[in-house]
Parts: sequence; structure tokens; C-alpha cells
Amino acid sequence: MSSLSLYGVSFDLVHLLLTSIGSVLPYPLDAWITNGTLVLVLSVLVFAAILLAASMINTIVLIWWERKLLGRFMDRRGAMHVGYAGLLQNFADGLKLFRKHTFKPAEADTLGFFSGPTAYMVTSMILFGVLPISTGWNSGSLPLSLLLALAIFSFAPLFIFVSAWSSNNKYSLMGGMRSAAQMIAYEVPLLLAVVAVVIVSGSFDLTTIVTEQQNYWFWGPLFLALVVFVAGMLAEMERIPFDLPEAEAELVEGWNTEYGGMLFAFFMLADYLRGLVGSFLVVLLFLGGWTMPSWVPGALTNFPLAGIFWFLVKTYLVFGLFVWIRASLPRVRTDQLLRVGWNRMIPLSLAAVFLAAALVTVKCLPVFGCLPSPGV
Amino acid sequence: MWINMGPQHPMTHGLWNLRVKIDGELITDCDPEMGYLHRGIEKISEDRHYNEVITLMDRTCYVAGFAWEHLYVLAAEEALHIQPPERAEYLRTLCEEFQRIGSHLMWYAAFVQDIGLMSPFLYGMRDRDLVLDLFQSYTGARMTYEYMRVGGVRNDLPPGFTGHARKVLDWLSDRFVEYDRLCLGSDIFRKRCDGLGVLSAADCVATGVTGPMLRSAGVKRDVRRDRPYAAYPQLDFDVAVADGADVTARYLVRMEEMRQSVRLLRQVLDWLDHHPGPVLADRLPRWLGAPYAPVGKEEYVLKRNYPKGVGFSSIEEPHGEAQAYVVNEGSEHPYRVKFRSPVFANLSATRHYLVGYRVADIPPIMGSVDICVGEVDR
Repeated sequence: MSSLSLYGVSFDLVHLLLTSIGSVLPYPLDAWITNGTLVLVLSVLVFAAILLAASMINTIVLIWWERKLLGRFMDRRGAMHVGYAGLLQNFADGLKLFRKHTFKPAEADTLGFFSGPTAYMVTSMILFGVLPISTGWNSGSLPLSLLLALAIFSFAPLFIFVSAWSSNNKYSLMGGMRSAAQMIAYEVPLLLAVVAVVIVSGSFDLTTIVTEQQNYWFWGPLFLALVVFVAGMLAEMERIPFDLPEAEAELVEGWNTEYGGMLFAFFMLADYLRGLVGSFLVVLLFLGGWTMPSWVPGALTNFPLAGIFWFLVKTYLVFGLFVWIRASLPRVRTDQLLRVGWNRMIPLSLAAVFLAAALVTVKCLPVFGCLPSPGV
Repeated sequence: MWINMGPQHPMTHGLWNLRVKIDGELITDCDPEMGYLHRGIEKISEDRHYNEVITLMDRTCYVAGFAWEHLYVLAAEEALHIQPPERAEYLRTLCEEFQRIGSHLMWYAAFVQDIGLMSPFLYGMRDRDLVLDLFQSYTGARMTYEYMRVGGVRNDLPPGFTGHARKVLDWLSDRFVEYDRLCLGSDIFRKRCDGLGVLSAADCVATGVTGPMLRSAGVKRDVRRDRPYAAYPQLDFDVAVADGADVTARYLVRMEEMRQSVRLLRQVLDWLDHHPGPVLADRLPRWLGAPYAPVGKEEYVLKRNYPKGVGFSSIEEPHGEAQAYVVNEGSEHPYRVKFRSPVFANLSATRHYLVGYRVADIPPIMGSVDICVGEVDR
């Protein structure tokens, strides 16, 4: 199968559209409309629109998935009334937030108050665009896409802190402080866990990392790294048990206390987008991305868009694990969280890195088979 | 930096304000402010007929309405020299113990929610609903019952009630095991609760703290045992105590109290099955429940030549030791009604068990106090 990329599709679509329009236009116009620059600009815009729609739909379905799962864990049904099994409930909620008045406290700093959530949202969306979802769905082959994704991922504390500080609210400020401390503390083990994957796969390119997992997925040999990565991801996503920056019980809503209406929706969507991206990363790095093991019958893996389908199935299962954790664990305290982060997670992640290096040196393992040789 | 936690704050579980002085995440001082929910219940009571005050008692503490009805009714009966029939006393005990379970389940739900446990919150609410369903089956209401009367109770139990109630008790006993596994079995829960909010027995006594908070400090004080009322002298139960005086100890005390309530209720239900009888005393004065006299219409306030008297009662309310004082000056209204709210004392001692801990410890500590602002402000 040819490597049909999403950008290629949008380029072809725009090209086809413009040439057919150009064919019915008189001389100076048809040349102008079919010229390369316009096609390029328009195809980039179409590409971005597809990404936007996909990310929003996925996010909203993810919220639905969380609500239904949480409902079942709690002996209830979750959203049931809008749409089939409540599928449209979150669209209704989003519309409601969209219609609401955007309120800014009088003492808040205008620039930071509005730019914080916007930047948070935008960076989360860029993340969605950077990650490959299947062989076709990727925004071009970036040799350092993993590094780029993690770099964008770690922007968040800055924007959270900016919006918290500019809210001019004590709860927000405390939440912002906690958020920044927590994200910075858990960034380190997260990155070290990624280093383990990079050592084994020999590449920073997510597409390569996935193709390296063609024979077996990394979660087995790199189980320690997976544990560290998932725990770090939980902290980065600020979900229970690590949701103390927005600890409802003491800080009202933490750094987004003062936000309402669409700005709150920005935070909400961006949070779930980051949840989605976090689950994507777990699937890409440890669960074989869009590949399936060879023992799976071909009928299940050879239909059109099978890659995207299996990728999303894995993603939603991983997110289901996050929801399960949320449903069953209480929240830890800031000092406990930081102590665990610096004293436990970092040594663990270092151990994971050494383990990965040892695995690469040994090459063949009785249980997991032979590792691929690191890329050149 | 002083921050106001309240009057509208998720931690408060009601309408009060906890002013906290923090240094980073550390609490250096605090100052509870109550009074936002003051409705003047004691003053309103002076203008009502004796039975009409019961309506207000349900609103005093909205999660333990029966306990407050019972408290008032006991004091009013003493003031009016009325003796309720024995079956009514057992029915009141039934109400109070079921109310204790209901109130503690509400506390459990709110408490686990405070430390971020989401699912047990709904488990607690789900099981509390079963208790409320029972209340509904014989009082018609789920929270504001207006069931007790000076001189007895309003009506007897519907047929088949005791069997249904036993089923609920069986279900609840199984759930208590599950609750313990969800909370005590969780390392994070223990890390969040152990050694927090310590209030020693001496401090409890000095600040007037009662109820589960006092018993969690190892003091074996329970009004049901020390100053028995209603049917408690005939019933067999243990006083739940724990050591540690911290949040975990309070959790343990309340869980054990619910188990003891189940034990008490089984005895009460057995007694009720075998002892039919009247539930309201004979020949009560008709004006006990006469229509409400509006303020200013003094002609309604007739001077009866009823023997004067003073009534005092003290009961073990789910939150602590509640006391009532009713003065009967011979008219059809109580001359003076005064209550002692246990939560008011428990909240006033905030400085003794909050200073020195962290901001993130406030929800578990305040959650372990079991706040009901309705009775604090009255």
C-alpha cells in the first residue's frame, strides 16, 4: 500500500478543486487560481481543519468515554439523555459553554488572563498534529517528532502559571504554583522513561519507533519504563491521584477557579486533549502504535483504516486505565507527590534507562526474543 | 497570607467561613466564622405550639432530623410532665439509630469526596438512600419527617416494615466491609489521614468537643450509655472508641458506630415485632398541636393553668452530644427553648486541630469533624 499521507490527501483535494474551478474561469484568473502557492496555502489550511475537527471530535468522545466509564465504576449509568447513550451530551455542554458570557475579574491582568488559556489550548492542539496515528495519518516524517512532542508537552506549566497568576486569586495562584512544581518534577522521570524507549528503538522518530515494534511491543521488555511513564503522564495530565493543582476540596478549582464560559471550555478541552495525547504516547511508545501482533487474524488488520482503528482502540483502552485509576484512588498531597517524584520516580526511571541499555547490549532475551538493532 | 475558605467553598459542607493564615502550604493560624445560616430557630420556637416546634427541629440539622426531633421531644415531655408509651420510645430509638447510620453515611460520602475518592462518594449516597427509603415508608418524608410528637410518635410502622428494614441492615453490614477495604486498604488514604488533625483527650474536654471526635481520643463517653434515654437502657451495645485522635481514628469510630447501630436496630426491630401497643400517650392537652399563631396575635397565646416545669434532655446525636432546655411557664407555647449544638463546639476548636498542618490537610481534617452547619447556627 502506498504511503498515503494526510497532507497528501488534502493537497490532492485542493489541487483537484482548484483545477476544476480554474477550468471554467477565463484566462488571467485560471492561471492565478491554479498557481502553486495558492494550492500550497489552501492545502495547509485544509490539513489544519481536518486535524482540528479530528482532535475536537476525539476529545469530546473521550470525555464521553470517561463519563460512561466513571458512571459504571460508581454504580450508575453516566450521561444518558442527549443522543444515544448520552453521546451528544458533551456537544450540548460545549454549546452551552460557548454561549456563556466570558467573564473577567476586574483585578485580573487582561493579557495573561486571556492569552494563558488560548496558548494552553493551541499548544495542546499542535501536539495532536505532531503525533502520527497511522502510516497515512501523520504530518510528514519528522526525524525528531518524539522530542518535538515532549517539548510542546512541557510548555503547559508556563501557560498554567501565567493564567493562574493573572487571575489575581489566591486559590488560582496556589494551584498554579503546585501545577508548575508538579509538572517540572514529573517531567524528568517522564523524559528518562522515554530515553529507555529511544535506546531500544534507536530513533526519535515516532514512526520508526512504531515500526521497530512490528515484531513485539516494548511494554514487555520495558515494563519499568512503562510504569514510570504512565505515572508521570498521570501527573502531567493532572488527573487523580495527582490532580492537586485543581484539588477541588481545598483550592476550589485551583488555577482555573476564575475561568468560566468558553475560557473554561478551553482548559477543559486542552486537558482532555493532553489526556488523549498522553494515551497516544503510551500506545506509540509501548503498545505498538497502529501495528498488531502477527497472531491476530488478517481479516482484523487488513481492512481500510485498520491502522487508525486499532490505534484508537488501544488509545481508548489506555485512557480507560487512567479513568479506572481516577475512580479508585484518593488524591495525594503536594509534598508527598513531590517526594515520590524526586525520591522514587527518578531512581526508577534511571533504572529503566540502564535496563534498556542492558537489553540492547545483550540483544537476545529468552522470553521476548531478539531486539531490533538500533537504527543507524 | 489570610485566605477565606468559605462561605462558599467545597470544603465547608455548608455555609460558614474558615479563615486560614498560611505560610506557603503551612497553616499558621485559623479562625472559624459561623452565623451565615442563623434562622433564629430558638426564638421562633417561643412563638409556636409545642408540637409545631418539631417542624423546625427537622430543619435544624438536615441530615439528622430525627435526632433533633428526639432531643426536643424529650425535653418538652419533661417540661410538660408527659410520659410517652413504651412502644413510642422504641420507635424513637429506631428512628435515631437509623438516622445515625444515614448521617454517618452522608459523612462518609462527603469525607471521601474531600480526599478525592470519587466512587465511594456515590456508594455512600446510594446506601444512604436505602435508609431514606425506609424513613419515607413510615413518615412520608425523606429528610424533614415531622414524625415525633410530644407524648409519642405520629403513627405506627406500616405492615412488613421490620422485614424490609432487616434486609437493609444485612445489605449495609456487607457494605461496611467494602467501605473499609476501599479506604483503610488504600495506602494513599492512610498517608492522607494518619496522624492528621490530632486533638488530644485533654484538649477535647477543654474545648467541649464531643461525639466521635472525643471518642476517637480514647474517651469512652456516650450519652446513650452514661445518661440513658428512650429505649437505650434495655438495649445492648458497645461504645465505639479508638486511639490516635486523628482523622483515621475518627473514621474508625464512625464505622464502628454504624456497626453498633445495626446491632441496636436488630434488637429494636425484634422488640417491635412482639410488642404491639399505642404509640401516642392518652389524654394529651389538645393545644399541643394547635394552629400556628402569627406574631402579634397575642389573643391566641392563652394562659393555661397547666403545671409549670422545666425540661432538659441530652442525647447522643450523630455529631456529638446535643442538649436541649425547654421552659414551660404554663402557656401553650414554650417560654424558652435553648439548644446546645455539638458541631458548634467541634468547629470552635478548629485552632487546636488545624494549626501546624498543611493546606491540603484541611479537607480531610474538616471532613473528619462531620459538619452540619444547620445546627451550628440554628
